[in-house]
Amino acid sequence: MRRPLALIVLLALMAAFAFGVNRFFAARKTTIASAAAPTEVHPEVALPGTLYLAQRGDIYRLRSGTFTDLHLPAGIGTWMQPAVVPGTPDIVAVARTAAYSDVYLIDGSNGKILRQLSHNKTATVTIQLWHWMFWPHVAADGNTMVVSYDAPKSGQSYEIDFAVWQGSVSQKPATQQWTQPYSFTGGDVQPLPLPGGRLLYAKYQITGGNVFSQLAMQTNALGDIVYLTSAAADCAQPAVSPDGGTLAMICASGTGLQSTSLVVAPLQGTKLGTAHVVVAKCICGAPAWSADGSGLGYLAPADATGHFQLWWIAGASTPRPAAPKQVTTGLDFDATSPPAWAP
Amino acid sequence: MVSQRRRRASAYRWGWGSRLLAAVLIAIGFAFSGAAGALAYFFPAIVTAFQVTGHTINRSAQSPPVQAGTQGLSTADPSQAASERPFTVLLLGSDNDAKFGGTVLTQSMILTRINPATKQVTMLSIARDLYVPLSSGGTDKIDKAYSAGLANAAVTTVENNFHVHIDHYAWIGLLGLVKLIDKLGGIDVVATHPVLDDFYPADLSGNNPYLYQRVAVLPGPQHMGGIQALEYVRSRHGDLRSDFGRSQRQQQVLLAIRTKAKLLGISDLPDISDAMANDFNTDMSITDVASLLPLASAVALENVHQVILLPPYTSSATIGNQDVLLPNWDLILPEVHKYFPAT
Repeated sequence: MRRPLALIVLLALMAAFAFGVNRFFAARKTTIASAAAPTEVHPEVALPGTLYLAQRGDIYRLRSGTFTDLHLPAGIGTWMQPAVVPGTPDIVAVARTAAYSDVYLIDGSNGKILRQLSHNKTATVTIQLWHWMFWPHVAADGNTMVVSYDAPKSGQSYEIDFAVWQGSVSQKPATQQWTQPYSFTGGDVQPLPLPGGRLLYAKYQITGGNVFSQLAMQTNALGDIVYLTSAAADCAQPAVSPDGGTLAMICASGTGLQSTSLVVAPLQGTKLGTAHVVVAKCICGAPAWSADGSGLGYLAPADATGHFQLWWIAGASTPRPAAPKQVTTGLDFDATSPPAWAP
Repeated sequence: MVSQRRRRASAYRWGWGSRLLAAVLIAIGFAFSGAAGALAYFFPAIVTAFQVTGHTINRSAQSPPVQAGTQGLSTADPSQAASERPFTVLLLGSDNDAKFGGTVLTQSMILTRINPATKQVTMLSIARDLYVPLSSGGTDKIDKAYSAGLANAAVTTVENNFHVHIDHYAWIGLLGLVKLIDKLGGIDVVATHPVLDDFYPADLSGNNPYLYQRVAVLPGPQHMGGIQALEYVRSRHGDLRSDFGRSQRQQQVLLAIRTKAKLLGISDLPDISDAMANDFNTDMSITDVASLLPLASAVALENVHQVILLPPYTSSATIGNQDVLLPNWDLILPEVHKYFPAT
């Protein structure tokens, strides 16, 4: 009687051991943590002013250490690229669908959509005649607006490039074409309106089989271009400090295809001073100055998940900027959407 | 007294030899149960591994393996351990839905030289429009070699034209790439420029092979899911460099996958094999593949050399209503044989 019982116990133990080994391997699977909602976390660094950031199709406001979900309607599209409307509590942002994108005016205090500024899904069923519109930015007057817009086009050609267009918040975001992109390069992107009616943007070019971008400045529509950076530096994503004296940018030159550098340089008119690499060989993007100019925010992965977090460099425009500090953990910000920073 | 007698009788029946035997049997039982638990966990991966590896191709039609340092290249040194010898793999990427009546073209051909001893890798992209004699007969775009005779024809065509020996091939379908990247939780890529395409094939779902969709991959660092990464590597209409630009992006995404895959361990094999089951095959053995995995993570990014044969290595032409690239073999072969031993 005891021997059969012992045998049963042994078999049960072996079965348990088999199950344990199986679960041991299962437990050792690499877990790539999914991102939390910003409202579930608290920033590790207190930042000045109010930020608007995009994550997974929605826009969040960060103020006084607390994230607030603006709860923009998902049915319209994937919300991204917020930008402040100076002098108002409003923001403009892009709602992207599979085949077109539009710019909306939104009350930044409650997420209420005030107005659809563009209508890029035209009446035609030919999707090649629909349009993309990205990177809206509003000038200091609170009305003049610039965007990257894939117009004009016929719908009959493979050629499709962004040009920078100017418009206004009160009317249409794109009424006058300002730049002439190089064909089949992707075009002119990330426009910023500067004081005095100047325009700063990243211009993509392809020469000798190499693709690169240069920061370019224009003082009038379709006017002469002044390049602030070299082709070899391959810089894009300009961000100008509130006092207009410092330019932050993302440069890929010399970093290989898989990394970038965050670079700052003094800006005087159309002259760029000596550039300083603030963060080298990173996957950094989307720089944005705080509204009080005390530091620079940017997005970069912090861990193996590869999800982009918000980072902060105090005194980035000074000769001795502080070391970068990670502001958020476990989030997944859209790195093609630079944070919008309001006072 | 009775129980003492029973114990003595029992000890007599269970001598030390019997006890040892029982202990060994119990240990073997536990070892088997543990192995059974592990087998149950890895069984799907093992089945898939046998299904996707060891695909034979007709080697008789191919060039012989290169023996010793051709053109100064350190190649198959007989004194070198087999696992340390450099070898060449043809990476093939294609749609696998046979949407045009069974014709499956390769969207990507990357000739890869791997040197396990020095941990160096060279990746040479072969433009899909390269107009060459096919091993199956006739002259056509090289992407049609696969449709004429699957991997065997693709390997033989590359060997015959480039005068190199290919040790192995690995084929991945587009859906497999999407699933792999999604299983990895996405990859971080520094998009080289805006990739805009109004005529991108909408063929991942649905039955109409002539449907198009609009694609806009924005420039700069970003976290890409499988679908977005596929759009980035597959689109070519809006790129001045057409196939060359796409080749560069394909190499870039392969490196990003490699970076992310370094996080994986043996316990992740069932998930990965599940994702790749119908979208991957190779003539490498399971042992070959297993030995490649640690090597892939050991190769530093700076030791990966990327080669793209831009003009003047090729020139554009139109033959029989199709746009093709004519190879300039006088330039191509010396360049290729810098990295891949000539046969």
